[in-house]
Amino acid sequence: MSEVKDTPIESSPLPAPKPKRPLPLSRQMVNEQTAKCYAEAWAAKENGEPVGWSTAIFPQEVCEAFGVPVLYPENNAAAISAKHLGDPFIEHAEGAMGFPINICSYARLNMGMADVLDNPDYKADPAMPRPDFLLLANNSCTQLMKWYECLSEALNIPIFFVDCLFNYYEEEPAFYKVKYVRSQIENYIENMEKFLKRKLDWDKYLEVQKRSQINCQLFNEIVDLNRRTPAPMSGFDLFNYMSCLVLCRGKESTTEIFKQLKAEVEENIKNNTSTFPGEEKYRVHWEGIACWPNLGFNLKKLKEYNVNAVMNGYVTAWDVRYAPGDLDGMAKAYQTSSTNSLSTPTIMNKRVDSIKNFGCDGMLCHVNRSCKLMTFHIFVGREIVESNAHIPVANFDGDQSDTRIFSEAQFETRLQGLVEIMKEQKEGAV
Amino acid sequence: MLTMGIDIGSAACKSLILKDGKHILSKEVFPLGTGTSGPNKVFEQALANACLEHKDLDHIMVTGYGRFTFDAADSQRSEITCHAAGMHFTMPKVRTLIDIGGQDIKILRLNERGKVESFVMNDKCAAGTGRFLEVMARVMNVRIEDLGALSMQSTEEVSISNTCTVFAESEVISKLSTGVKLPDLVAGILASVAKRVASLAFRNGVEAEVGMSGGVALNEGIINALSKELKTQILVPELCQYLGALGAAIYAGKEAL
Repeated sequence: MSEVKDTPIESSPLPAPKPKRPLPLSRQMVNEQTAKCYAEAWAAKENGEPVGWSTAIFPQEVCEAFGVPVLYPENNAAAISAKHLGDPFIEHAEGAMGFPINICSYARLNMGMADVLDNPDYKADPAMPRPDFLLLANNSCTQLMKWYECLSEALNIPIFFVDCLFNYYEEEPAFYKVKYVRSQIENYIENMEKFLKRKLDWDKYLEVQKRSQINCQLFNEIVDLNRRTPAPMSGFDLFNYMSCLVLCRGKESTTEIFKQLKAEVEENIKNNTSTFPGEEKYRVHWEGIACWPNLGFNLKKLKEYNVNAVMNGYVTAWDVRYAPGDLDGMAKAYQTSSTNSLSTPTIMNKRVDSIKNFGCDGMLCHVNRSCKLMTFHIFVGREIVESNAHIPVANFDGDQSDTRIFSEAQFETRLQGLVEIMKEQKEGAV
Repeated sequence: MLTMGIDIGSAACKSLILKDGKHILSKEVFPLGTGTSGPNKVFEQALANACLEHKDLDHIMVTGYGRFTFDAADSQRSEITCHAAGMHFTMPKVRTLIDIGGQDIKILRLNERGKVESFVMNDKCAAGTGRFLEVMARVMNVRIEDLGALSMQSTEEVSISNTCTVFAESEVISKLSTGVKLPDLVAGILASVAKRVASLAFRNGVEAEVGMSGGVALNEGIINALSKELKTQILVPELCQYLGALGAAIYAGKEAL
């Protein structure tokens, strides 16, 4: 019997990792701004100053004018989910805390996090400090109210609530609805003055309003540049830059970022280049919140099939436009900017206009288990889109934070089917 | 020109060889899906049936859930447009196509040229799929292919209230323990599938004529239950199980040109 000798296996050297493309300056500025916001909130906390947590589309102008740091749990949950760090918080919310799987995953993630804020092992990226007050507007979702009530009770802190009304049948809210929301904002300012034990600087407040309008206008101009064919931006970039409007809508640093971004996009147009990493053969309108944990996979597949999701309805939710100093205008804007505050025909016809403006060949809808309200628009809305915009629509299952819902195979089949239909329609084979 | 279409599903594999995009030379089905020996078996058997060799084929296109894993294929395409092409080849007047596969339900609206105008598919849930029927058949200890005939013997349909596969399984076990007649229970199960599929079909709009593809279309009990729900006759081509493979073979012909 021959002796079997161990022969060392010479391993071939691993291929060098593909160098990452450096982030454009505008993206670096976004990251710096976000880091600064969180650092300021932590610094305030350490100095014994109040820190707030706020729903995503809240009249931020007031706290900005007060100079009080505010962070946004929805924005935070999205960032954590995109880094695949959300599962432990969601598991804690569902397990130890007993919240049902059917509620919003942002809520589960955030409430799971809030429950461990004082835990010495508390770690998140980005990590929010314990809040001293909550800012709540129900213009984008009614579940927010229960979520924030739970936070308020668990953390024993007050909620400042701006009650916005749903616009059932009208595109423009009736005057009495505007009056009601205005009174809510006035009431909020009064209560915030009592809470902080100081008066609002109305001049500064006006300046923040002006700054917010400049930022919203700039973002709109940038988004509009993507109407060009081929688009100068991957539509998914909008998800990244949108965070500036959520987190820092009233800050000058956002103006600087948007100016830089606009210059970069215009440079792309001049050079006929794009941040979309593939060839743009098809342009689709994305509906719904991003599937944050699967953003990379989604983009990879969109690239493979040469599909640029050039525009999405979600990013317009922070287009809170009003004339500075006009409180009625501000009240109206906060009541109507979110997709979820308008009726299905109103919002879907806005999508139809957008589809036409951006020259989209199809629509890709994220049936988001967490956001029932936004998702239910899709089921009826697809008929409106198909008949008024005459483009094919495909749905796929997913979730903004819960990693158990999305199916890679399902997404690819739906996307491929949509592409095949768009191809046949473009080639006139239909 | 000889082309082959292979449909690698989650529950079964189908293959079909087409001559000049018109004449079916051979077809094969095997009740094992992706990740098994099924794809190779239907590939080789379809060739053997037609006394052909791999080299005789001008183009092989693969479709279905396992379409990315079959190395011998020249190209792949989604099952959505393949089923549409297959149905149009066999029944050109069909405007609404219902396909119940192992894990997918597809409702396609077709135009007069057989092109897909719109489609909806089930959400991430096995209710109403072929897998649902498999599970129910196993619980009742009957063969899946006997479900249709059994349901026809029903005199009083037993209602199944749960659409979730897991809960429906428990409900069927519970009904069995109360001594309900098997045909009545089977009829109830098929009706629950039909209701689920019909609700999806209505979401996409139902336009006559309505045709059905997939292995589940061989189940006459489902066809009857679905006809009742949709209030229209459902046409089932003889090749219902092969429509995905047929469509792939048709598209293979276009790619080979």
